[in-house]
Amino acid sequence: MLSKSQARAFFLIGTGLCAVAFIGLTVDTFSRIPAQTKHDDITEEVKRGKDLWESNNCMGCHTLFGEGAYYAPELTKVYERRGEQFIRGMLTDPAAMYPGERKMQKYDFSEDDKTALVAFFKWAGGVDLNGFPPTPPLAQGTAQTAKLDTQPLVFKQTCTVCHALDGQGGTVGPSLDGVGTRLDADYLRKWLRDPTNVKPGTKMPKLPLTDAQIEELVTFLGSKR
Amino acid sequence: MRYESQRIAWWFFATCMLLFSLQIVYGFIMGFAHAGYDVLHDVIPFHTARATHTNLLVMWLLVGFMGAAYYIVPEECERELMWPWLAKVQLGAFVAVGVTAIAGYHANWWEGRKFLEIPRPLDFLVVVDVLAFIANIGATVWRGRRMTTTAMVLFFGLLMAALLYLPGMIPTTNQTVDSYWRWWVVHLWVEGVWELIMGAILSFLLIKLTGVDREVIEKWLYIIVGFTFLSGILGTGHHYYYIGTPRYWLMVGGIFSALEPVAFLGMAIYAIAMARRGGRAHPNRMALQWSVGCAVLSFVGAGFLGFAHTLPQVNMYTHGTLVTAMHGHMAFWGAYAMIVLAMIAYTLPMLTGRSLHDSTASSFAFWTSNIGMIAMTLAFAVAGVTQVVLERRLGMDFLTVQREIEVHFWGLILAASLFTLGIGAFVWVFIRSGMPVGRVEPGSPSAEPAAPPLDAEAQHA
Ligand code: HEC
Ligand code: HEC
Ligand code: HEM
Ligand code: HEM
Ligand SMILES: [Fe+2]
Repeated sequence: MLSKSQARAFFLIGTGLCAVAFIGLTVDTFSRIPAQTKHDDITEEVKRGKDLWESNNCMGCHTLFGEGAYYAPELTKVYERRGEQFIRGMLTDPAAMYPGERKMQKYDFSEDDKTALVAFFKWAGGVDLNGFPPTPPLAQGTAQTAKLDTQPLVFKQTCTVCHALDGQGGTVGPSLDGVGTRLDADYLRKWLRDPTNVKPGTKMPKLPLTDAQIEELVTFLGSKR
Repeated sequence: MRYESQRIAWWFFATCMLLFSLQIVYGFIMGFAHAGYDVLHDVIPFHTARATHTNLLVMWLLVGFMGAAYYIVPEECERELMWPWLAKVQLGAFVAVGVTAIAGYHANWWEGRKFLEIPRPLDFLVVVDVLAFIANIGATVWRGRRMTTTAMVLFFGLLMAALLYLPGMIPTTNQTVDSYWRWWVVHLWVEGVWELIMGAILSFLLIKLTGVDREVIEKWLYIIVGFTFLSGILGTGHHYYYIGTPRYWLMVGGIFSALEPVAFLGMAIYAIAMARRGGRAHPNRMALQWSVGCAVLSFVGAGFLGFAHTLPQVNMYTHGTLVTAMHGHMAFWGAYAMIVLAMIAYTLPMLTGRSLHDSTASSFAFWTSNIGMIAMTLAFAVAGVTQVVLERRLGMDFLTVQREIEVHFWGLILAASLFTLGIGAFVWVFIRSGMPVGRVEPGSPSAEPAAPPLDAEAQHA
């Protein structure tokens, strides 16, 4: 059986070797981080975005790179998922973007602040995270993915937050399956320009859409019969 | 208890009781928010509750470690504390900084980095305060009449904990680098140097409570902390899988962190074996129950539940979900909350001269809080696994899944109520025991009334 001094030697040598290996790996990691995280893309705006992210403790509800709290969505890929306009909306009035849902803090951000946070998310989305967040392996088959690919970008990013189509998307508004049989193109056009004009007090917000986007959406929705 | 200055520990332990109670209140706020009743949103939004909950936890554990050190070091080194007044000043300052930080969290003043939310100016005050503590303990060890392994391991654990706070303060503009250093604090604390502190306190308690030979206990202490560092240092890699660091961390982190449970298993076997071997029973059975319970549940929470999500193939899906919260609760409870409570249960009769360890309230506190915490862990586990399957594997929307698992948070609240009853009983026993009074008898192993002289090491020395 080991004596006490042998036990001490085991402790000291083991700890020493592991500490040296760890420091070596750390040095190597720091030489590779700039390429893997696209360090050159960290502009003044991204830096300011990171400062705002920290000084407002967004991590106290959200995760980024999978780190943080488990109360609100993972935000690593939010720029790709929702796009700039929607994120700006969240940072202006979250309750309008997600009516009746779990509460996000409402902030008083200036336009520059919002731009900085968007830039930060855009940078974060580009970091190579070794495959995180994973693509859901059991998501409904490839037919589903093919259908998603025919959706206009603005629909995928914005409308699915509240509406489901083919079983995918949020539940704040009604499902848009077969909407083309219910509503005609003129109504859709008016509705998308400003829902509150058509139906005062509605929970669907006026979204910042360009005319071209509206036309694209009207055609797309019209085809959903 | 042989030295007058050991009594200072009581003030630290009283602070623990207060901060711990407050921590639980904030836990309930979050539990209700998850269950769909975020009624306090305008006053205490979720991120405020979370930062307060976790920071109070870390704060009361650190205060508990300090109290334990102020009790253990004089006894081990056979002399009075070097500067008892400094201990009091240092406790007061620590609490003042903590209260300022927590008030800050309610006014959007923080650093927004998980577990290290304390604003930068206060970080410096924490460092100064901890240095004063280390100096006090260090000087006492240095000038002591003997240097025991237990005291040395405790001292180095505390010193390293203080030094490892510093990497968390390195400024950077890159989120990946930010995370990299943050784990040097968070991981190397809980899966490194805090285990040294825990191991040393556990050794001290086992020497006192079981009467097993010090040489035997301290030899095993070396082996266990040896395993801790052998696996825990490179095990930091399990936080470097998916944050923008090189792919080789999946290998390094996976292999070494998978070995981390060995140290916790060792701790559990060691505590049980020593408790069995110790022939003479110490009258304070409660303290032994907390000590052995700590070793066993730390294996369950840190070892077993840590292993459950530490392999990169699993962690890919569980990373940043409620599965992590499940593990976090049981691990912190088993390893660190319970070691501090064990220390309190052991010292209280000596500090206050009143022995309530045989009371019903004492054993109610032990069983109810532990059963409550196991049930809480189960509630988090069901919620977490459901979240992983629905959101990460099936690709359902985050908020839809959260609505789906609301019901498990009612389970959590029920379990947490049971847990709170147990902690209530513990605090009740603490209060009933009264203020520190009584006479210290130099040379006697324990001022506890009716305690026969059974300090094995007293005969040894
Ligand atoms: C009190 C908790 C809380 C805080 C703090 C918080 N959020 Fe949120 N956030 C939420 C919740 C909950 C959602 C989900 C939508 C909803 O229910 O409003 C959300 C949604 C979002 C979304 C949309 C995500 C998506 O997939 O649609 C973005 C972008 C966002 N938050 C950014 C931020 C930023 C940036 C900060 C910090 C400045 C922040 N949040 C702070 C709770 C919070
Ligand atoms: C913040 C949530 C939200 C977003 C984002 C949103 N909607 Fe809506 N939408 C609603 C709600 C709520 C209703 C139901 C309004 C009512 O009846 O008062 C609705 C109604 C509709 C309707 C009428 C459906 C019917 O059957 O009557 C259409 C069409 C529609 N939305 C299209 C869109 C499109 C296209 C987008 C993307 C550009 C979009 N919505 C984005 C919430 C939203
Ligand atoms: C007493 C010791 C331990 C404590 C107190 C503890 C506590 C925690 C906490 C609080 C977190 C969340 C950290 C964060 O996201 O900021 C965490 C994460 C983690 N722990 Fe532990 N832990 C302990 C031991 C272990 C051990 C021994 C293992 C492995 C065998 C382990 C594996 C993990 C893993 C893999 C994560 C990352 C989870 C994720 O990706 O979200 N832990 N731990
Ligand atoms: C008794 C009532 C308690 C309740 C209701 C409770 C509830 C919660 C909730 C809801 C969270 C937030 C998870 C999220 O981000 O969504 C949390 C976080 C946390 N709590 Fe508790 N808690 C309680 C007690 C405790 C105790 C006693 C401990 C320690 C021993 C503890 C340690 C933690 C830790 C370490 C975290 C952070 C976990 C992580 O980031 O993974 N809690 N708690
Ligand atoms: Fe870890």
